[in-house]
Amino acid sequence: MNTIQGKVIVLGDDVDTDQILPGYAMAEPYDQLGKFAMAGLASGDFKTVYEPGCILVAGRNFGCGSSREQAPIALRQAQIALVIAKGFARIFRRNAINIGLPVWAADVAGSLKTGDRIEVDLEQGTVVVNGEKKQFQPMAENVMKTLTYGGLIPRVRAELGITEREGE
Amino acid sequence: MNLIEKYLAKAAGKETVSPGMDLTCSVSYVAAHDVTAPIAIKMFRQIGVKQVFNPDRVALIVDHIYPASSEKARDNVWIMDDFAKEFGVHLYQRGEGVIHQLMYEKHRAQPGELVVIADSHTGTCGGYGAVGVGVGSTELAAAMATGKLDLEVPEVVQVYLTGKCPGNVFGKDIILYLGSKFGTDHLVDRALLFTGPGIEGLSVAERMTICNMGIELGSMITLFGTAEREPDTVEDLELDLGSLEPMIACPFSPANVAPVSKVAGTAVTQVVVGSCTNGRLSDMEQVVKVFRGRKVSPEVNTLIVPASKEILEQMEERGWCKIMRDAGATVLNPGCGSCFGAHEGLTSARDVVVSTTNRNFPGRMGSMKANIYLASPATAAATALTGKITVPNV
Repeated sequence: MNTIQGKVIVLGDDVDTDQILPGYAMAEPYDQLGKFAMAGLASGDFKTVYEPGCILVAGRNFGCGSSREQAPIALRQAQIALVIAKGFARIFRRNAINIGLPVWAADVAGSLKTGDRIEVDLEQGTVVVNGEKKQFQPMAENVMKTLTYGGLIPRVRAELGITEREGE
Repeated sequence: MNLIEKYLAKAAGKETVSPGMDLTCSVSYVAAHDVTAPIAIKMFRQIGVKQVFNPDRVALIVDHIYPASSEKARDNVWIMDDFAKEFGVHLYQRGEGVIHQLMYEKHRAQPGELVVIADSHTGTCGGYGAVGVGVGSTELAAAMATGKLDLEVPEVVQVYLTGKCPGNVFGKDIILYLGSKFGTDHLVDRALLFTGPGIEGLSVAERMTICNMGIELGSMITLFGTAEREPDTVEDLELDLGSLEPMIACPFSPANVAPVSKVAGTAVTQVVVGSCTNGRLSDMEQVVKVFRGRKVSPEVNTLIVPASKEILEQMEERGWCKIMRDAGATVLNPGCGSCFGAHEGLTSARDVVVSTTNRNFPGRMGSMKANIYLASPATAAATALTGKITVPNV
Protein backbone atom coordinates (compact mmCIF):
# COMPACT_ATOMS: atom_id res chain seq x y z
CA MET A 1 0.00 0.00 0.00
CA ASN A 2 2.83 2.39 -0.76
CA THR A 3 0.78 4.59 -3.04
CA ILE A 4 -2.97 4.97 -3.35
CA GLN A 5 -4.54 6.35 -6.53
CA GLY A 6 -8.17 7.23 -6.95
CA LYS A 7 -10.96 9.63 -7.69
CA VAL A 8 -11.58 12.29 -5.07
CA ILE A 9 -14.93 13.03 -3.42
CA VAL A 10 -14.76 16.31 -1.51
CA LEU A 11 -16.84 16.58 1.68
CA GLY A 12 -17.27 19.38 4.25
CA ASP A 13 -16.53 19.84 7.95
CA ASP A 14 -18.04 17.79 10.81
CA VAL A 15 -19.12 14.78 8.73
CA ASP A 16 -20.54 12.78 11.64
CA THR A 17 -20.98 9.04 12.07
CA ASP A 18 -24.75 9.28 11.51
CA GLN A 19 -23.95 10.60 8.03
CA ILE A 20 -21.31 7.92 7.43
CA LEU A 21 -23.60 5.15 8.66
CA PRO A 22 -27.09 6.08 9.94
CA GLY A 23 -28.57 4.67 13.15
CA TYR A 24 -31.15 2.64 11.23
CA ALA A 25 -28.35 0.49 9.77
CA MET A 26 -26.92 -0.45 13.17
CA ALA A 27 -28.57 -3.86 13.36
CA GLU A 28 -27.48 -4.87 9.85
CA PRO A 29 -25.26 -7.95 9.64
CA TYR A 30 -21.53 -7.19 9.63
CA ASP A 31 -20.96 -8.08 5.97
CA GLN A 32 -23.86 -5.95 4.72
CA LEU A 33 -22.71 -2.60 6.14
CA GLY A 34 -20.98 -1.40 2.94
CA LYS A 35 -24.37 -0.92 1.27
CA PHE A 36 -25.15 1.86 3.75
CA ALA A 37 -21.84 3.73 3.50
CA MET A 38 -22.46 7.51 3.49
CA ALA A 39 -26.23 6.86 3.26
CA GLY A 40 -26.89 9.72 5.67
CA LEU A 41 -24.77 12.35 3.93
CA ALA A 42 -26.45 15.70 4.52
CA SER A 43 -25.25 17.48 1.39
CA GLY A 44 -25.03 16.09 -2.14
CA ASP A 45 -25.86 12.67 -3.53
CA PHE A 46 -22.98 10.36 -2.70
CA LYS A 47 -24.15 7.55 -5.00
CA THR A 48 -23.85 9.65 -8.16
CA VAL A 49 -20.16 10.47 -7.55
CA TYR A 50 -19.07 7.26 -5.81
CA GLU A 51 -16.88 4.63 -7.45
CA PRO A 52 -14.98 1.74 -5.82
CA GLY A 53 -11.46 2.78 -4.87
CA CYS A 54 -12.35 6.44 -4.44
CA ILE A 55 -10.71 8.75 -1.88
CA LEU A 56 -12.78 10.87 0.52
CA VAL A 57 -11.33 14.32 1.22
CA ALA A 58 -12.93 16.20 4.10
CA GLY A 59 -12.49 19.20 6.37
CA ARG A 60 -12.42 19.43 10.16
CA ASN A 61 -13.54 16.73 12.59
CA PHE A 62 -14.41 13.89 10.21
CA GLY A 63 -16.16 11.02 12.02
CA CYS A 64 -17.41 12.99 15.01
CA GLY A 65 -20.19 11.46 17.09
CA SER A 66 -20.75 7.81 17.80
CA SER A 67 -18.12 5.19 18.62
CA ARG A 68 -19.77 2.80 16.14
CA GLU A 69 -16.99 0.84 14.45
CA GLN A 70 -19.59 0.00 11.81
CA ALA A 71 -18.88 3.45 10.30
CA PRO A 72 -15.29 2.79 9.13
CA ILE A 73 -16.19 -0.85 8.43
CA ALA A 74 -18.90 0.36 6.02
CA LEU A 75 -16.39 2.63 4.26
CA ARG A 76 -13.89 -0.21 3.96
CA GLN A 77 -16.54 -2.61 2.63
CA ALA A 78 -17.58 0.06 0.10
CA GLN A 79 -13.92 0.01 -1.06
CA ILE A 80 -13.16 3.57 -0.02
CA ALA A 81 -9.38 3.49 -0.49
CA LEU A 82 -8.48 6.31 1.87
CA VAL A 83 -9.99 9.14 3.89
CA ILE A 84 -8.01 12.38 4.06
CA ALA A 85 -9.28 15.10 6.39
CA LYS A 86 -8.00 18.26 7.98
CA GLY A 87 -8.83 16.54 11.27
CA PHE A 88 -10.52 13.40 12.60
CA ALA A 89 -12.57 12.77 15.70
CA ARG A 90 -10.49 10.63 17.99
CA ILE A 91 -12.63 7.48 18.30
CA PHE A 92 -13.32 7.31 14.56
CA ARG A 93 -9.64 7.72 13.75
CA ARG A 94 -8.65 4.91 16.08
CA ASN A 95 -11.49 2.65 14.88
CA ALA A 96 -10.49 3.16 11.25
CA ILE A 97 -6.85 2.28 11.86
CA ASN A 98 -7.86 -0.68 14.03
CA ILE A 99 -9.94 -2.18 11.21
CA GLY A 100 -7.38 -1.36 8.53
CA LEU A 101 -9.02 1.62 6.80
CA PRO A 102 -6.31 4.21 5.99
CA VAL A 103 -7.15 7.65 7.39
CA TRP A 104 -4.67 10.49 7.05
CA ALA A 105 -4.79 13.93 8.65
CA ALA A 106 -3.69 16.45 6.01
CA ASP A 107 -5.27 19.72 4.90
CA VAL A 108 -5.53 18.95 1.18
CA ALA A 109 -9.20 19.85 0.60
CA GLY A 110 -8.65 23.44 -0.52
CA SER A 111 -6.79 22.46 -3.68
CA LEU A 112 -9.14 19.65 -4.75
CA LYS A 113 -12.60 19.20 -6.23
CA THR A 114 -14.81 16.15 -6.60
CA GLY A 115 -13.75 14.14 -9.65
CA ASP A 116 -10.04 15.02 -9.46
CA ARG A 117 -7.70 12.03 -9.58
CA ILE A 118 -4.84 11.99 -7.11
CA GLU A 119 -1.96 9.77 -6.11
CA VAL A 120 -1.07 9.64 -2.42
CA ASP A 121 2.09 8.28 -0.81
CA LEU A 122 1.32 7.97 2.89
CA GLU A 123 4.86 7.07 3.92
CA GLN A 124 6.31 10.08 2.09
CA GLY A 125 3.34 12.34 2.87
CA THR A 126 2.94 13.43 -0.75
CA VAL A 127 -0.10 14.08 -2.91
CA VAL A 128 0.18 14.28 -6.70
CA VAL A 129 -2.64 16.13 -8.47
CA ASN A 130 -2.46 17.11 -12.17
CA GLY A 131 1.22 16.18 -12.24
CA GLU A 132 2.04 18.52 -9.36
CA LYS A 133 3.46 17.00 -6.15
CA LYS A 134 2.58 18.53 -2.77
CA GLN A 135 4.20 17.71 0.55
CA PHE A 136 2.31 17.08 3.82
CA GLN A 137 3.10 15.39 7.14
CA PRO A 138 3.79 11.67 6.49
CA MET A 139 1.64 9.04 8.19
CA ALA A 140 2.99 8.05 11.62
CA GLU A 141 5.20 4.96 11.49
CA ASN A 142 3.23 3.02 14.09
CA VAL A 143 -0.03 3.65 12.23
CA MET A 144 1.57 2.56 8.94
CA LYS A 145 2.59 -0.67 10.63
CA THR A 146 -0.94 -1.47 11.84
CA LEU A 147 -2.35 -0.67 8.38
CA THR A 148 0.22 -2.89 6.72
CA TYR A 149 -1.01 -5.81 8.83
CA GLY A 150 -4.58 -4.98 7.84
CA GLY A 151 -5.65 -3.78 11.28
CA LEU A 152 -5.00 -4.17 15.00
CA ILE A 153 -6.21 -7.76 15.46
CA PRO A 154 -3.97 -9.25 12.72
CA ARG A 155 -1.09 -7.15 14.05
CA VAL A 156 -1.60 -8.34 17.64
CA ARG A 157 -1.94 -11.95 16.49
CA ALA A 158 1.26 -11.69 14.47
CA GLU A 159 3.15 -10.04 17.32
CA LEU A 160 1.93 -12.67 19.80
CA GLY A 161 2.81 -15.43 17.36
CA ILE A 162 -0.76 -16.80 17.30
CA THR A 163 -1.05 -18.94 14.20
CA GLU A 164 -4.12 -21.07 14.91
CA ARG A 165 -7.13 -20.28 12.76
CA GLU A 166 -9.20 -17.26 13.82
CA GLY A 167 -12.19 -18.13 15.97
CA GLU A 168 -15.62 -17.20 14.71
CA MET B 1 0.65 17.00 37.21
CA ASN B 2 -3.03 17.81 37.10
CA LEU B 3 -5.71 15.42 38.40
CA ILE B 4 -6.20 13.62 35.08
CA GLU B 5 -2.45 13.08 34.72
CA LYS B 6 -2.26 11.78 38.31
CA TYR B 7 -5.07 9.30 37.64
CA LEU B 8 -3.55 8.12 34.36
CA ALA B 9 -0.11 7.79 35.95
CA LYS B 10 -1.60 5.60 38.66
CA ALA B 11 -3.45 3.45 36.10
CA ALA B 12 -0.20 3.03 34.16
CA GLY B 13 1.94 2.38 37.26
CA LYS B 14 4.16 5.41 36.61
CA GLU B 15 5.49 8.10 38.94
CA THR B 16 4.91 10.95 36.53
CA VAL B 17 3.39 11.43 33.08
CA SER B 18 3.12 14.39 30.71
CA PRO B 19 1.05 15.21 27.61
CA GLY B 20 1.83 13.10 24.57
CA MET B 21 3.31 10.20 26.53
CA ASP B 22 2.07 6.78 25.39
CA LEU B 23 0.76 4.70 28.29
CA THR B 24 -0.57 1.21 28.82
CA CYS B 25 -3.18 1.63 31.55
CA SER B 26 -4.95 -0.92 33.74
CA VAL B 27 -8.70 -0.87 33.25
CA SER B 28 -11.18 -1.21 36.13
CA TYR B 29 -14.41 -1.76 34.15
CA VAL B 30 -15.20 -2.71 30.57
CA ALA B 31 -18.64 -2.54 28.97
CA ALA B 32 -20.40 -2.56 25.61
CA HIS B 33 -23.98 -2.40 24.31
CA ASP B 34 -26.01 -4.09 21.59
CA VAL B 35 -24.61 -1.87 18.80
CA THR B 36 -20.94 -2.24 19.74
CA ALA B 37 -20.77 -5.59 21.59
CA PRO B 38 -21.52 -7.95 18.67
CA ILE B 39 -18.48 -6.70 16.71
CA ALA B 40 -16.37 -6.58 19.88
CA ILE B 41 -17.28 -10.24 20.50
CA LYS B 42 -16.36 -11.13 16.93
CA MET B 43 -12.98 -9.41 17.38
CA PHE B 44 -12.46 -10.99 20.81
CA ARG B 45 -12.93 -14.43 19.31
CA GLN B 46 -10.46 -13.55 16.55
CA ILE B 47 -7.80 -12.68 19.12
CA GLY B 48 -8.18 -16.24 20.31
CA VAL B 49 -7.81 -15.90 24.12
CA LYS B 50 -9.83 -18.27 26.29
CA GLN B 51 -11.06 -15.87 28.98
CA VAL B 52 -11.81 -12.24 29.71
CA PHE B 53 -9.45 -10.37 32.06
CA ASN B 54 -11.99 -10.38 34.92
CA PRO B 55 -15.58 -11.53 34.27
CA ASP B 56 -16.92 -9.56 37.24
CA ARG B 57 -15.62 -6.31 35.67
CA VAL B 58 -17.19 -6.85 32.24
CA ALA B 59 -20.81 -5.84 31.49
CA LEU B 60 -22.83 -6.22 28.31
CA ILE B 61 -25.99 -4.13 28.14
CA VAL B 62 -28.87 -4.26 25.67
CA ASP B 63 -30.12 -0.68 25.54
CA HIS B 64 -30.02 0.65 21.98
CA ILE B 65 -32.66 -1.54 20.41
CA TYR B 66 -34.79 -3.13 23.15
CA PRO B 67 -37.28 -4.67 22.74
CA ALA B 68 -35.90 -5.75 19.37
CA SER B 69 -37.30 -3.80 16.42
CA SER B 70 -36.19 -6.41 13.89
CA GLU B 71 -35.02 -9.98 13.56
CA LYS B 72 -31.48 -8.69 12.96
CA ALA B 73 -31.53 -6.67 16.17
CA ARG B 74 -32.66 -9.76 18.06
CA ASP B 75 -29.83 -11.81 16.50
CA ASN B 76 -27.36 -9.32 17.98
CA VAL B 77 -28.79 -9.91 21.46
CA TRP B 78 -28.31 -13.65 21.07
CA ILE B 79 -24.62 -13.07 20.22
CA MET B 80 -24.31 -11.23 23.56
CA ASP B 81 -26.32 -13.88 25.42
CA ASP B 82 -24.10 -16.69 24.12
CA PHE B 83 -20.95 -14.78 25.00
CA ALA B 84 -22.15 -13.92 28.52
CA LYS B 85 -22.95 -17.58 29.23
CA GLU B 86 -19.62 -18.78 27.81
CA PHE B 87 -17.37 -16.25 29.57
CA GLY B 88 -19.39 -15.53 32.73
CA VAL B 89 -19.66 -11.75 32.26
CA HIS B 90 -22.60 -9.59 33.40
CA LEU B 91 -25.47 -9.25 30.94
CA TYR B 92 -28.43 -6.87 31.18
CA GLN B 93 -30.94 -7.67 28.46
CA ARG B 94 -34.43 -7.11 29.89
CA GLY B 95 -34.73 -3.34 29.68
CA GLU B 96 -32.75 -2.53 32.83
CA GLY B 97 -31.56 0.74 31.37
CA VAL B 98 -29.02 2.73 29.40
CA ILE B 99 -25.38 1.66 29.71
CA HIS B 100 -23.98 4.81 31.38
CA GLN B 101 -26.73 4.89 33.99
CA LEU B 102 -26.47 1.14 34.67
CA MET B 103 -22.71 1.40 35.17
CA TYR B 104 -23.42 4.09 37.77
CA GLU B 105 -26.12 2.02 39.49
CA LYS B 106 -24.60 -1.48 39.31
CA HIS B 107 -20.86 -1.23 38.59
CA ARG B 108 -19.85 2.16 39.92
CA ALA B 109 -16.16 2.94 39.49
CA GLN B 110 -14.29 4.71 42.28
CA PRO B 111 -12.85 8.17 41.64
CA GLY B 112 -9.75 7.87 39.47
CA GLU B 113 -10.53 4.39 38.17
CA LEU B 114 -10.39 3.87 34.40
CA VAL B 115 -13.65 2.86 32.70
CA VAL B 116 -13.55 1.72 29.08
CA ILE B 117 -16.86 1.43 27.25
CA ALA B 118 -17.52 0.92 23.57
CA ASP B 119 -19.71 4.01 23.40
CA SER B 120 -18.81 7.61 22.74
CA HIS B 121 -20.63 8.90 25.84
CA THR B 122 -18.38 7.02 28.27
CA GLY B 123 -17.16 10.35 29.63
CA THR B 124 -20.41 10.37 31.67
CA CYS B 125 -18.64 8.62 34.56
CA GLY B 126 -16.44 11.71 34.97
CA GLY B 127 -19.48 13.15 36.75
CA TYR B 128 -18.72 10.84 39.68
CA GLY B 129 -14.97 11.16 39.41
CA ALA B 130 -14.05 8.13 37.28
CA VAL B 131 -11.98 8.43 34.11
CA GLY B 132 -14.11 7.30 31.18
CA VAL B 133 -12.62 6.63 27.75
CA GLY B 134 -14.95 5.77 24.88
CA VAL B 135 -13.57 3.30 22.34
CA GLY B 136 -14.71 1.28 19.35
CA SER B 137 -15.38 -2.44 19.26
CA THR B 138 -11.85 -3.63 18.39
CA GLU B 139 -10.19 -1.69 21.22
CA LEU B 140 -12.91 -2.93 23.54
CA ALA B 141 -12.16 -6.52 22.53
CA ALA B 142 -8.48 -5.97 23.32
CA ALA B 143 -9.33 -4.37 26.69
CA MET B 144 -11.70 -7.23 27.51
CA ALA B 145 -8.92 -9.72 26.77
CA THR B 146 -6.04 -7.95 28.50
CA GLY B 147 -7.55 -5.57 31.08
CA LYS B 148 -5.33 -2.89 29.54
CA LEU B 149 -5.85 0.12 27.30
CA ASP B 150 -3.18 1.98 25.36
CA LEU B 151 -3.67 5.73 25.31
CA GLU B 152 -1.66 8.88 25.01
CA VAL B 153 -1.75 11.44 27.82
CA PRO B 154 -3.99 14.30 26.67
CA GLU B 155 -3.44 18.00 27.19
CA VAL B 156 -5.97 19.22 29.73
CA VAL B 157 -8.25 22.21 29.32
CA GLN B 158 -9.57 23.45 32.67
CA VAL B 159 -12.95 25.08 33.21
CA TYR B 160 -12.95 26.81 36.59
CA LEU B 161 -16.52 27.36 37.76
CA THR B 162 -17.61 30.06 40.18
CA GLY B 163 -20.99 31.28 41.36
CA LYS B 164 -24.37 29.54 41.34
CA CYS B 165 -26.72 28.74 38.47
CA PRO B 166 -29.93 30.81 38.23
CA GLY B 167 -33.04 28.71 39.01
CA ASN B 168 -33.75 27.85 35.36
CA VAL B 169 -30.16 26.95 34.42
CA PHE B 170 -28.89 23.36 34.76
CA GLY B 171 -25.91 21.18 33.85
CA LYS B 172 -27.22 20.86 30.31
CA ASP B 173 -27.16 24.62 29.83
CA ILE B 174 -23.55 24.75 31.08
CA ILE B 175 -22.25 22.17 28.61
CA LEU B 176 -24.24 23.71 25.73
CA TYR B 177 -22.76 27.09 26.58
CA LEU B 178 -19.27 25.54 26.51
CA GLY B 179 -20.10 24.04 23.11
CA SER B 180 -20.69 27.55 21.84
CA LYS B 181 -17.27 28.58 23.22
CA PHE B 182 -15.14 25.60 22.19
CA GLY B 183 -16.90 24.32 19.05
CA THR B 184 -16.91 20.68 17.97
CA ASP B 185 -13.20 19.95 17.54
CA HIS B 186 -11.10 22.24 19.71
CA LEU B 187 -10.90 19.51 22.37
CA VAL B 188 -10.17 16.54 20.07
CA ASP B 189 -7.42 14.42 21.71
CA ARG B 190 -7.60 16.71 24.75
CA ALA B 191 -9.36 16.38 28.09
CA LEU B 192 -11.78 18.69 29.86
CA LEU B 193 -11.44 19.15 33.63
CA PHE B 194 -14.00 21.01 35.77
CA THR B 195 -12.85 22.63 38.99
CA GLY B 196 -13.68 25.65 41.12
CA PRO B 197 -16.09 26.49 43.94
CA GLY B 198 -18.97 26.52 41.44
CA ILE B 199 -18.93 22.72 41.13
CA GLU B 200 -20.14 22.34 44.70
CA GLY B 201 -23.61 23.54 43.71
CA LEU B 202 -23.89 20.93 40.94
CA SER B 203 -25.45 17.54 41.74
CA VAL B 204 -23.81 14.31 40.57
CA ALA B 205 -26.64 13.98 38.02
CA GLU B 206 -25.86 17.41 36.57
CA ARG B 207 -22.15 16.64 36.51
CA MET B 208 -22.93 13.42 34.62
CA THR B 209 -24.96 15.42 32.06
CA ILE B 210 -22.01 17.77 31.53
CA CYS B 211 -19.47 14.95 31.21
CA ASN B 212 -21.84 13.01 28.92
CA MET B 213 -21.62 15.75 26.32
CA GLY B 214 -17.89 16.41 26.53
CA ILE B 215 -17.49 14.18 23.48
CA GLU B 216 -19.66 16.58 21.44
CA LEU B 217 -16.82 19.07 21.93
CA GLY B 218 -14.36 16.35 20.89
CA SER B 219 -13.05 15.72 24.41
CA MET B 220 -11.34 12.38 25.07
CA ILE B 221 -11.84 12.48 28.86
CA THR B 222 -14.21 14.78 30.74
CA LEU B 223 -13.88 14.88 34.51
CA PHE B 224 -15.03 16.74 37.61
CA GLY B 225 -12.21 17.49 40.03
CA THR B 226 -12.40 19.53 43.22
CA ALA B 227 -12.92 23.19 44.12
CA GLU B 228 -9.15 23.65 43.93
CA ARG B 229 -7.61 24.97 40.72
CA GLU B 230 -5.46 22.32 38.99
CA PRO B 231 -1.89 22.97 37.75
CA ASP B 232 -0.30 21.99 34.42
CA THR B 233 -3.24 22.66 32.11
CA VAL B 234 -2.88 24.06 28.58
CA GLU B 235 -5.86 26.39 28.80
CA ASP B 236 -7.97 27.78 31.62
CA LEU B 237 -11.45 29.21 31.19
CA GLU B 238 -13.23 30.82 34.13
CA LEU B 239 -17.02 30.71 34.08
CA ASP B 240 -19.41 32.46 36.47
CA LEU B 241 -22.47 30.21 36.59
CA GLY B 242 -24.56 33.14 37.76
CA SER B 243 -24.06 34.81 34.38
CA LEU B 244 -25.70 31.98 32.41
CA GLU B 245 -29.19 31.74 30.97
CA PRO B 246 -30.99 28.67 29.49
CA MET B 247 -29.23 27.56 26.29
CA ILE B 248 -30.33 25.51 23.29
CA ALA B 249 -28.41 23.77 20.48
CA CYS B 250 -29.99 24.54 17.11
CA PRO B 251 -29.91 22.29 14.01
CA PHE B 252 -27.63 20.56 13.12
CA SER B 253 -24.77 20.65 15.62
CA PRO B 254 -24.53 20.34 19.41
CA ALA B 255 -22.22 23.37 19.24
CA ASN B 256 -24.63 25.55 17.23
CA VAL B 257 -25.88 27.08 20.46
CA ALA B 258 -28.02 30.12 21.25
CA PRO B 259 -29.82 31.37 24.35
CA VAL B 260 -33.33 29.82 24.45
CA SER B 261 -34.71 33.37 24.43
CA LYS B 262 -33.26 33.91 20.91
CA VAL B 263 -35.29 31.08 19.33
CA ALA B 264 -38.32 31.22 21.66
CA GLY B 265 -41.61 30.93 19.77
CA THR B 266 -40.41 28.34 17.22
CA ALA B 267 -43.23 25.80 16.80
CA VAL B 268 -42.37 22.18 17.72
CA THR B 269 -44.07 18.83 17.08
CA GLN B 270 -42.11 16.49 19.35
CA VAL B 271 -40.45 16.77 22.74
CA VAL B 272 -38.16 14.04 24.09
CA VAL B 273 -36.96 13.98 27.70
CA GLY B 274 -34.52 11.25 28.63
CA SER B 275 -31.41 9.33 27.52
CA CYS B 276 -27.99 8.91 29.12
CA THR B 277 -27.71 12.69 29.01
CA ASN B 278 -30.85 13.74 30.90
CA GLY B 279 -32.91 10.71 31.91
CA ARG B 280 -32.18 10.74 35.63
CA LEU B 281 -34.59 11.27 38.53
CA SER B 282 -33.73 14.96 38.98
CA ASP B 283 -34.40 15.49 35.26
CA MET B 284 -37.79 13.86 35.64
CA GLU B 285 -38.46 16.07 38.66
CA GLN B 286 -37.98 19.14 36.45
CA VAL B 287 -40.61 17.81 34.09
CA VAL B 288 -43.09 16.93 36.84
CA LYS B 289 -42.78 20.41 38.34
CA VAL B 290 -43.84 21.88 35.00
CA PHE B 291 -46.49 19.27 34.09
CA ARG B 292 -48.31 18.86 37.41
CA GLY B 293 -51.97 19.71 36.85
CA ARG B 294 -51.33 20.96 33.31
CA LYS B 295 -51.65 19.59 29.75
CA VAL B 296 -49.03 19.45 27.04
CA SER B 297 -49.88 21.03 23.69
CA PRO B 298 -52.10 18.78 21.57
CA GLU B 299 -49.74 19.55 18.66
CA VAL B 300 -46.79 17.83 20.38
CA ASN B 301 -45.71 14.18 20.88
CA THR B 302 -44.20 14.26 24.34
CA LEU B 303 -41.96 11.26 24.98
CA ILE B 304 -40.43 10.57 28.39
CA VAL B 305 -37.58 8.03 28.44
CA PRO B 306 -36.10 7.26 31.88
CA ALA B 307 -32.42 6.23 31.82
CA SER B 308 -33.06 3.08 33.87
CA LYS B 309 -35.70 0.78 35.29
CA GLU B 310 -34.68 1.88 38.79
CA ILE B 311 -35.45 5.49 37.86
CA LEU B 312 -38.75 4.44 36.26
CA GLU B 313 -39.71 2.57 39.45
CA GLN B 314 -38.97 5.63 41.57
CA MET B 315 -41.04 7.75 39.20
CA GLU B 316 -43.93 5.33 39.61
CA GLU B 317 -43.60 5.25 43.40
CA ARG B 318 -43.77 9.02 43.55
CA GLY B 319 -46.76 9.19 41.24
CA TRP B 320 -44.76 11.06 38.60
CA CYS B 321 -45.66 8.73 35.72
CA LYS B 322 -49.35 9.43 36.35
CA ILE B 323 -48.75 13.18 36.41
CA MET B 324 -46.88 12.92 33.11
CA ARG B 325 -49.53 10.71 31.49
CA ASP B 326 -52.35 12.91 32.76
CA ALA B 327 -50.55 15.83 31.12
CA GLY B 328 -50.67 13.96 27.82
CA ALA B 329 -47.10 12.64 27.72
CA THR B 330 -46.09 9.07 26.84
CA VAL B 331 -43.75 7.35 29.28
CA LEU B 332 -41.56 4.88 27.35
CA ASN B 333 -39.37 2.05 28.56
CA PRO B 334 -35.78 2.90 29.51
CA GLY B 335 -33.47 2.79 26.50
CA CYS B 336 -31.65 4.67 23.76
CA GLY B 337 -34.32 4.38 21.06
CA SER B 338 -35.67 7.89 20.63
CA CYS B 339 -32.20 9.45 20.73
CA PHE B 340 -30.44 7.71 17.88
CA GLY B 341 -32.95 7.10 15.14
CA ALA B 342 -33.41 3.34 15.17
CA HIS B 343 -36.91 3.05 16.68
CA GLU B 344 -39.40 4.65 19.10
CA GLY B 345 -40.17 8.15 17.96
CA LEU B 346 -38.71 8.58 14.47
CA THR B 347 -39.39 11.88 12.73
CA SER B 348 -40.63 12.91 9.29
CA ALA B 349 -39.44 15.94 7.34
CA ARG B 350 -42.26 17.99 8.91
CA ASP B 351 -41.11 17.48 12.48
CA VAL B 352 -39.38 19.92 14.76
CA VAL B 353 -38.01 18.31 17.92
CA VAL B 354 -36.81 19.67 21.22
CA SER B 355 -34.86 16.91 22.93
CA THR B 356 -32.75 16.57 26.06
CA THR B 357 -30.47 14.08 24.29
CA ASN B 358 -26.92 14.78 23.12
CA ARG B 359 -26.91 14.96 19.31
CA ASN B 360 -28.87 16.82 16.67
CA PHE B 361 -26.95 15.72 13.59
CA PRO B 362 -28.90 15.56 10.30
CA GLY B 363 -31.06 12.43 10.33
CA ARG B 364 -30.22 11.62 13.94
CA MET B 365 -33.88 10.97 14.78
CA GLY B 366 -35.12 9.70 11.43
CA SER B 367 -35.74 12.26 8.70
CA MET B 368 -32.71 14.15 7.37
CA LYS B 369 -34.91 17.23 7.23
CA ALA B 370 -36.39 17.16 10.73
CA ASN B 371 -35.01 20.02 12.81
CA ILE B 372 -33.69 18.93 16.19
CA TYR B 373 -32.94 21.26 19.09
CA LEU B 374 -31.14 20.17 22.28
CA ALA B 375 -32.04 21.67 25.64
CA SER B 376 -32.49 20.97 29.36
CA PRO B 377 -35.47 19.00 30.72
CA ALA B 378 -36.88 22.25 32.14
CA THR B 379 -36.76 23.94 28.72
CA ALA B 380 -38.13 20.81 27.02
CA ALA B 381 -41.04 20.54 29.48
CA ALA B 382 -41.94 24.24 29.19
CA THR B 383 -41.83 23.82 25.41
CA ALA B 384 -44.11 20.77 25.50
CA LEU B 385 -46.79 22.79 27.31
CA THR B 386 -46.88 25.67 24.85
CA GLY B 387 -45.94 23.83 21.64
CA LYS B 388 -43.34 26.51 21.03
CA ILE B 389 -39.75 26.80 22.22
CA THR B 390 -40.14 28.41 25.63
CA VAL B 391 -37.79 29.79 28.26
CA PRO B 392 -38.47 27.87 31.49
CA ASN B 393 -39.58 29.81 34.55
CA VAL B 394 -37.00 30.46 37.24
